Amino acid sequence: MITEFKTYICNSSEYVANVKILVVEDEKGLAESIAEYLSKENFVVEIVHEYEAAHEKISLYNYDCTIVDLNLPDGTGFDIVAYVKQKSVSTGIIIISARNAVEDKIKGLEIGSDDYLTKPFHLSELNARIKSLIRRRHFGGNNEMSYKEIRINLNSRRVFVNDQETILSRKEYDLLMYFVSNIEVVLTKSAIAEHLYGDNIDTADSFDMLYSHIKNLRKKLTEKGGNDYIQSIYGIGYKFGMG
Amino acid sequence: MKLLAKTNAYYITFSVVAFIMLAIVFYIVTEFVIYEEVETRLKVERQDFEHYVAEQGVWEESCYFVENKIELATVRDTLAPIEVFKDTLFANRFDSEVVPFRQYSFYKVINRQPYKVSIRKSLIESNTLLTFITATMVVVLGIGLVSLYFLQRKISKKIWQPFYQSLANAKSFDISHGVGLNMPEEPIYEFQELNEVLEKMTNKITADYQNLKEFTENAAHEIQTPLALINSRVEELIQGKNFTDQQMYWVEEIHKSTLRLSKLHHGLLLLSKIENGQFYEHEHVNISLLAKNKFNDYQEVFEHKELETNFIENGKFIAEMNPALADILITNLLNNAVKHNVAKGSLHLEIFSNTLVISNTGASLKFPPEKLFERFKKQNQSSASLGLGLAIVKKICTYYDFDVSYEIKDNCHIVSIVDPGAE
Repeated sequence: MITEFKTYICNSSEYVANVKILVVEDEKGLAESIAEYLSKENFVVEIVHEYEAAHEKISLYNYDCTIVDLNLPDGTGFDIVAYVKQKSVSTGIIIISARNAVEDKIKGLEIGSDDYLTKPFHLSELNARIKSLIRRRHFGGNNEMSYKEIRINLNSRRVFVNDQETILSRKEYDLLMYFVSNIEVVLTKSAIAEHLYGDNIDTADSFDMLYSHIKNLRKKLTEKGGNDYIQSIYGIGYKFGMG
Repeated sequence: MKLLAKTNAYYITFSVVAFIMLAIVFYIVTEFVIYEEVETRLKVERQDFEHYVAEQGVWEESCYFVENKIELATVRDTLAPIEVFKDTLFANRFDSEVVPFRQYSFYKVINRQPYKVSIRKSLIESNTLLTFITATMVVVLGIGLVSLYFLQRKISKKIWQPFYQSLANAKSFDISHGVGLNMPEEPIYEFQELNEVLEKMTNKITADYQNLKEFTENAAHEIQTPLALINSRVEELIQGKNFTDQQMYWVEEIHKSTLRLSKLHHGLLLLSKIENGQFYEHEHVNISLLAKNKFNDYQEVFEHKELETNFIENGKFIAEMNPALADILITNLLNNAVKHNVAKGSLHLEIFSNTLVISNTGASLKFPPEKLFERFKKQNQSSASLGLGLAIVKKICTYYDFDVSYEIKDNCHIVSIVDPGAE
């Protein structure tokens, strides 16, 4: 029955099959971990650990998205951002850095990066940001995405279940977006809470609030005849998908 | 007061005093010389008079002078012979104008009759002379002093020019540019020395600052990167399906602890960055507006904790500070007020033109509330709180010379921040 539902741009393999991502990160373990995680999302991921190698890759190939660490042994990530922008304007750039300085964030955005993530970050957050970036780049935000019977209009921020609109609060919408960006992935409570509230709010409170948002979202989706895709993982968090 | 104004003031004071003194001295000296001259002539006249009396035996008033210049008065005794000079005024014979005279009085016995003889000489010509000479001198001296003043002003300006140049250079020094000052060569030894010292000093400051900045950046990188690795590996780990609940729990504990460690490290780094003055960019921050926005952001949390809240704006609080730090300041205060609040408690945020007061209900403390501003000082040491929020608040306030206080009144915790610099 699933095939009856319209699938515009879905988080499934056919949509991301051709998306190429370059990861520039000197910490090999972290680069590997990012690559493994993103590969599961069917992105084509390449890794380089050094400035020179990154330079070479960028000059040879076109990537849809580049993830750049600012601290590299033989150069600074800012130069790579500048070089990528000079080579191909359409490439999305996400800076990942241990530096939490506002000046760095501003500088990064000024020279053309699209996003800035401070280490340590959640892989699910990075994944959600890459997807949002690619959607923005390729479809100018004028698009819809769907999962099974759930359809989300990204422009108007409206959500339909079985073509019936369900009214979600701002936080519930953000939560649903985070889930559909990370299908079949176990998400920790802290990752979701941080996505919704930033890292300033006390964890105990944010977990409680998260719990009530999940309860409401679940209710609003099933009310319109949708399946309950939100699964609780004991002690850890939640997973969105068929199981 | 400007350097030139100061030297000018000294110069003017000194020259006015010198001018007056010189004028007085000059007047006195001229007067003395004139009197000497007049008195010598009076003495000569006395000789003439005595010579005349010795020859003729008598003194005939009319025979000698046109003007009534020698006057004789009979006196009884000559017991106290005097010989004295004095100034006196006499009316002019023709137009009764009062004219100054110098009078020389002495005793003389003529024909066994003692007389007091007074010889007088008009001072009118001498006085005119004195006035003219003094006036000329005063004018010449005045011109000299005024022209010296202008000369000195011009020279000072020229000589101090390199100093003002150095001052302007030092003012334009910006630590964030990463380079020290580059001063020009000066022919004057002292200024050259000043420039060298400035150059050396700013280079040293810049190098120290860069070192410190690099250190904090590297510390951030070296510690946060492994933490990022642990976290991402944990995230991959929990995707596995073969864990028992117990193992899942362990993994989650690892995950939470790394996140906590990372936040702790960020907090400590922030503290040292504030201390090192790495937030040097200041601007006018509208604290009222910032607090209001933050307050609205927290509505969800307030509702969740069922807090009775209100926001009162009594004035516009504009502070001169770094916007990022202002954000952190307000966030930490609100966080603190929410975190340590009681269920169904209250939270009030009040803003005055230079004061921010946040008060919330909470448990009573076992120690003086001011201690909460210390690092890692918590009411309950085992609580999940990092114990850095208020330490950061305190550090930011100290950095900007804000007065911050913590007091407890009837289970109400009140933190107030006063910016004495805001009007």
